[in-house]
Amino acid sequence: MPGILIVEDDKSIREMLKLSLLRNNYTVLEAENGKDAIVHFKPLLTDLVVTDLIMPEEDGLKVIIKLKEIKPSIKIIAISGGGKAGPASYLNLAKALGADAIYTKPFSINNLIVKIEELLDNEQHS
Amino acid sequence: MKRKPEITDGNDFLKYLTKEKDISDQIINHSRSMISIVNRDYIYEKVNSTFCNAHQLVLDTILGKSLGDIWGHDTFQNVIKRNVDLCFSGKTVKYEALFDTPKSGKRHFEVVFRPLSVEPGKITHLLAETFDINDLKKSKQAVKEKEEELRKFETNLPIGFLRCDPKGKILNANKAFLGITECHDEKSINNVNLRSFYLQEQLFDIQIDQLKDCHSMNFGRVSLKNCSGKEIPCRISGFLAVNKSGAPTSIDFAVEDCSRELMLENRLLQAQKLETIGALAGGIAHDFNNILATISGYSEMLHDDLPKNSDLSDKVSKIQGAVKKAQSITNQILTFSRQIEQEKVLTNVSEVLKETIGFVRSSIPSNVELKSRIPKMKANVLADPTQLFRVFLNLMTNAIQAMEEHGGLLSVNISTVEREFVLHELNRAIVADEYVLLTFKDTGEGMDPSLMGRIFEPFFTTRDVGKGTGLGLSVIHGIITEMEGEILVSSKRKEGSVFNVYLPVSKNYSDLKAATVCRKKILFITGNKYESRILSLALESAGYELIYISDERNFVNIITDTKERPDLVIYMNDSRQIKPEDLVKIFSGLKILTPCVLITDSIEELSDEKLLNSGIIKQHLTKPVSLKEIRNAIQELIR
Repeated sequence: MPGILIVEDDKSIREMLKLSLLRNNYTVLEAENGKDAIVHFKPLLTDLVVTDLIMPEEDGLKVIIKLKEIKPSIKIIAISGGGKAGPASYLNLAKALGADAIYTKPFSINNLIVKIEELLDNEQHS
Repeated sequence: MKRKPEITDGNDFLKYLTKEKDISDQIINHSRSMISIVNRDYIYEKVNSTFCNAHQLVLDTILGKSLGDIWGHDTFQNVIKRNVDLCFSGKTVKYEALFDTPKSGKRHFEVVFRPLSVEPGKITHLLAETFDINDLKKSKQAVKEKEEELRKFETNLPIGFLRCDPKGKILNANKAFLGITECHDEKSINNVNLRSFYLQEQLFDIQIDQLKDCHSMNFGRVSLKNCSGKEIPCRISGFLAVNKSGAPTSIDFAVEDCSRELMLENRLLQAQKLETIGALAGGIAHDFNNILATISGYSEMLHDDLPKNSDLSDKVSKIQGAVKKAQSITNQILTFSRQIEQEKVLTNVSEVLKETIGFVRSSIPSNVELKSRIPKMKANVLADPTQLFRVFLNLMTNAIQAMEEHGGLLSVNISTVEREFVLHELNRAIVADEYVLLTFKDTGEGMDPSLMGRIFEPFFTTRDVGKGTGLGLSVIHGIITEMEGEILVSSKRKEGSVFNVYLPVSKNYSDLKAATVCRKKILFITGNKYESRILSLALESAGYELIYISDERNFVNIITDTKERPDLVIYMNDSRQIKPEDLVKIFSGLKILTPCVLITDSIEELSDEKLLNSGIIKQHLTKPVSLKEIRNAIQELIR
């Protein structure tokens, strides 16, 4: 089953995402901040990353840049709840940096799952 | 004093006389004035050395010459003669004139003619003394100019200067002080004590005492009152002058009106406050969105687990509805704190305003009159038309609500103003040469100044609890600030309020060009109400090609035409031409795969299960829809 890495500092969202992904038969890896995600990244086990943008240590933008560098074929979905500091152009920035899809919190988990399937489907076909 | 020498014989006496004459000659010759004796025929009989020097002539060539010969015949006729004649009539004559002398050129002289008589009872000669007063005159002129300059400086500066006696009685006040106190008659304030201009008269006594100790003091801000009793915030400093024995002789005061400064300070404070609240509220909204994401995620999973149309699944749907409502509030806060990026396109403000007015007119109470003058304007601003619509709608709705009880007049105007005008009005940096100025003026309840300072704060509302979130004006503030514009309010209790919105005119067309490159066809099914027109305006400005339909047949034709076929369908539930069930029928009947976006007024209208569960609707948005939201939805569906 495809492996999905969740990078999110908010534990309740991380667990909610994990539960939902497990229900859809994905293998789930977790990281609670950007630094953790980059340092412990397992390219062979990870096909897709769902990352928050504003996090302590390294932020989501760094995650996108680094992970795409390590594994260019990886799919990344960025999620954000509006800026805690500064403008929330982060999501657009994330897209510009290579995120394959962006979602603002709160988002529909079903839509997210559909998007994940679509991205991974494309991956298999190409 | 020197004693007279002793004279013993006639020779000595002669010597003495010669010596005395020598001395007086010396004195006369060394005088700095030109001295001469002239007879009735205007002929020089005697002149001193200074005279000779000035004319650079030797004595003998002057004696026997006439005044005209020496000074020039024109000068003699025009200036000298009448004064000489006057002197011969027995008067001492004194006058000033400009004379040309070979030694020093044209200079100012003072001339004194004194009548002399050699024969008793008859004026035979005159004694002329001519002093060079050129330097004196020049320095007098210089003093006069300096005085004039000082006077100008003092009268043109907007600072009131006062001289008072040691008790504070005004002896002298300049025009600026009269201006500040709005006392138009100078006499009316002389001899009045400055104390009576103080809002707190005791404060004046304290300041006088302080001056006695320190002589010179800056008192900072002091509230004065003008002649009609209105308070004027002023900055005052004083200087106490004393005589040699240390007793005070007078006190000088400088009074500066600082009402404008105070107003700007207040505005800055407001802006900083809003910025702080924005940052704070933005942070909370961010945390809330995280929490909402968790609630929304679990309730969606729960909804999937429960049997459809069951009592439990209904309850979960209600939770999801509440999440959407909460999200709309966090969105508003994020808009206020400018943490939601706006999708901006070149927008004709007057068009959006016209649509908004049309929208408002349809629901205006009968006791409120709406007057507007919207000239055709070419001025474009960079904005999201849907957000502008929101701004105008909110301002007009507020105005109408303020007049609900007693009725009144709402006037809406739009114009363009130049940079110079804006420079004095706005607090923020000027970013354009031209601004669009929109004015919303009502004759409603109005506000107290204390209230006025807080209206843009989020959750600040004067309405009853439960009516409105108190976010409307905060959102407006955020939208306008994000556009680098500014909103200013002035109001008077019981008289009404005026909201002035300044938006920078954009001369940047690059965005428009970029948008037109990737034209996509959108079939727009709408009731063509004002709100929908704004949205179509926004989409067209953003570079989409919109196809409108008039009825069902037309719809079938377009959707099945391979050439005309749209990339996307936007369906607004205000459409009267096509009902939701028609849409479902046509889409499923013809097996149409074109993605469809549904826009409804509120979350509650999700009740049309048929439409929502048909699989036709790929995205569902609720009003107010921003251009950014709809654009994200479009980009999600068509690539």
